[in-house]
Amino acid sequence: MERLLIVDDERDIRLLYAAELEEEGYQVKTAGSGVEAADLLKEMDFDLLVLDIQMKGESGLQLLQQIVKEKAGLPVILCTAFSCYKEDFSSWLADAYIVKSSDLSQLKNEIRRILDKHEKS
Amino acid sequence: MSFPCCWQKERIEPGECPFLRPGDQELLYNRQQRFLTRCLECSRFWEELPNPDADLRLLAELFPCVVEALLGLRSQNQSLSHQLETRTREAKFLHEVSLVLQTSTNIDEVIAMALTAVTAGQGFGFNRAILLLVDRSGDFLCGHFAIGPRDQYEAGRIWQEIAASELSLRELARAFFEKKMDQEREKFRDLLDTLTVPMDRPDHLFIRTLKAQASCHMTDVRQEPTLEPRQAEALGVREMVLVPLISKSRPIGLLLADNNVNGRPIETDDVHLLETFALPVSFAIDRAALYEQLQSELDRLTEAHRRLQEQQETILRMEKMAAVGKVSADIAHSVRNPLTVIGGFARNLLRGSVAEAVQRQYLESILRETRRMEETLKVAMAVAEEKHPAYDWWDLNQLVSKVFTGLQEDFKIANIDCRLEFHPHLPLMRLDYPQLSFCLRSLLRHVLDVMPSGGRLEIGTRGEEDRQQIAFRCLGAGPGAPDLGSIINPLMGQGGDPGLQLCRKILAGHGATVEQEEGPAGIRIWLPQAAEISPGKA
Repeated sequence: MERLLIVDDERDIRLLYAAELEEEGYQVKTAGSGVEAADLLKEMDFDLLVLDIQMKGESGLQLLQQIVKEKAGLPVILCTAFSCYKEDFSSWLADAYIVKSSDLSQLKNEIRRILDKHEKS
Repeated sequence: MSFPCCWQKERIEPGECPFLRPGDQELLYNRQQRFLTRCLECSRFWEELPNPDADLRLLAELFPCVVEALLGLRSQNQSLSHQLETRTREAKFLHEVSLVLQTSTNIDEVIAMALTAVTAGQGFGFNRAILLLVDRSGDFLCGHFAIGPRDQYEAGRIWQEIAASELSLRELARAFFEKKMDQEREKFRDLLDTLTVPMDRPDHLFIRTLKAQASCHMTDVRQEPTLEPRQAEALGVREMVLVPLISKSRPIGLLLADNNVNGRPIETDDVHLLETFALPVSFAIDRAALYEQLQSELDRLTEAHRRLQEQQETILRMEKMAAVGKVSADIAHSVRNPLTVIGGFARNLLRGSVAEAVQRQYLESILRETRRMEETLKVAMAVAEEKHPAYDWWDLNQLVSKVFTGLQEDFKIANIDCRLEFHPHLPLMRLDYPQLSFCLRSLLRHVLDVMPSGGRLEIGTRGEEDRQQIAFRCLGAGPGAPDLGSIINPLMGQGGDPGLQLCRKILAGHGATVEQEEGPAGIRIWLPQAAEISPGKA
């Protein structure tokens, strides 16, 4: 079973994403901050990371840079309430950039597409 | 003092005639010459002449030489008088030309005056004048302008016209400058292009003459080895004069003059006069060129200043917008997350609910409203950011059709019968598709609200030469026409629903105008075909 890590400082978002993605058949872990996510990443392996950008404490983009250095090859989807970060060079390190929406089909499709791509490669 | 007159003597001694001057030794032996130059001025001679002892035979002998001298003087006088007349005419002509040359700062006017003077009958009377100028980079001596007839036929016509017009040189030049300059430039375009020479060819006749800063009178152009055959052929003359134009020791161009039509030989006087004339012409051309350059620099500065002002205004606007954008972004974050959660869980619950359950309707309502708010948020953010307006060419019919399709189900539920009438073959128009789609969708949603009892809705498009129209017409099912005030007023800037206020801003950004239609109630939105897109307005 593919293992996903959701990183978002909003508890309800974490709950929603976990519920929806578990329904899709993924094993989902959640983290409320960059530090918590870093700890989880040390403890276990994940197939994909869904990462919020603007969080209290360490920002998602900082965590992304750390992941690229330490966990090269781990796919990351930035999922944020802001569309403006698309223009930030740091965000280009991610495999996909999604603006949050109540319709999670775009997020689900991207997760599937990226995991399939990685599986093939 | 009294002295005996010596006029009859063949030979005299020095000091015998008081009128002789140092150097007059020859006159001591030449009676005829002495008679003509000295005796005729001598009072003693005139006193002795009526004397009966005067030698009449000698007088008769001297008479023919007196007459010959007289006739010679008369001829000389006539020649001098003619020369004086010519010089006076030349002085007048130079004065007239100089007036224009000194006062004009228009390079074309200066050139028109100079070349008219070279070719006009009242001027130098050459058949043709060609002006070559060193270009701004200093790399080429370019054929700039030429004036004159190309052949006998044209010459006859032009000279006849000039003679009939009775214009002064100045008037002639002015008329030429105002009416014939462009025509003449085109007429000689090929010749001027052919005569253009790079400045790095010091051996070429033109460059050589220019650098030597001395005029050159060519009596057989075709024998000149440095002139390219095509140039000699294009000139089509044997004889021509080349005068360099020098201003402040700097070569600025070359003036060529010839008699390509009547073949009149070029006199040395013509060359000298042309050399004299070249000086004021050079200064005038140089000054006019500098003035033109100055004017161009001034225009560039003015333009730069205008742009700077525009940029300052843009920066100010951007600063304001950045502040608005920051606030909007914060709001977006605060609103988007709860919306995601509300809508997301509603979807989740909806999937698990029974088809007939009453809660399903509630969940659908939550979901619909969430979608609506998300759409508003999306467009509001796009408008607030305004960094990259998505204006492109779109088909208005396609846009209206797409929006309608998205709401078709809602109209069906609301019991509203929709009729679409699209104008065929509307040209594409420049618009921001997502913004205008949002606007149209919002308007149609509000139409749903004002027709609670259902009815009929006509949606149509129309095209005119410079604008296109989207129109709604509502025919309510109940008594009375639906009240569109709640839609129209916000569109007219009179408060109301925030979504509709946003629509007003979007429409204003597209340069659109909104009209209200009475009985049945309707709204017409006119979009200009070539709207000036202004991010600041949107």
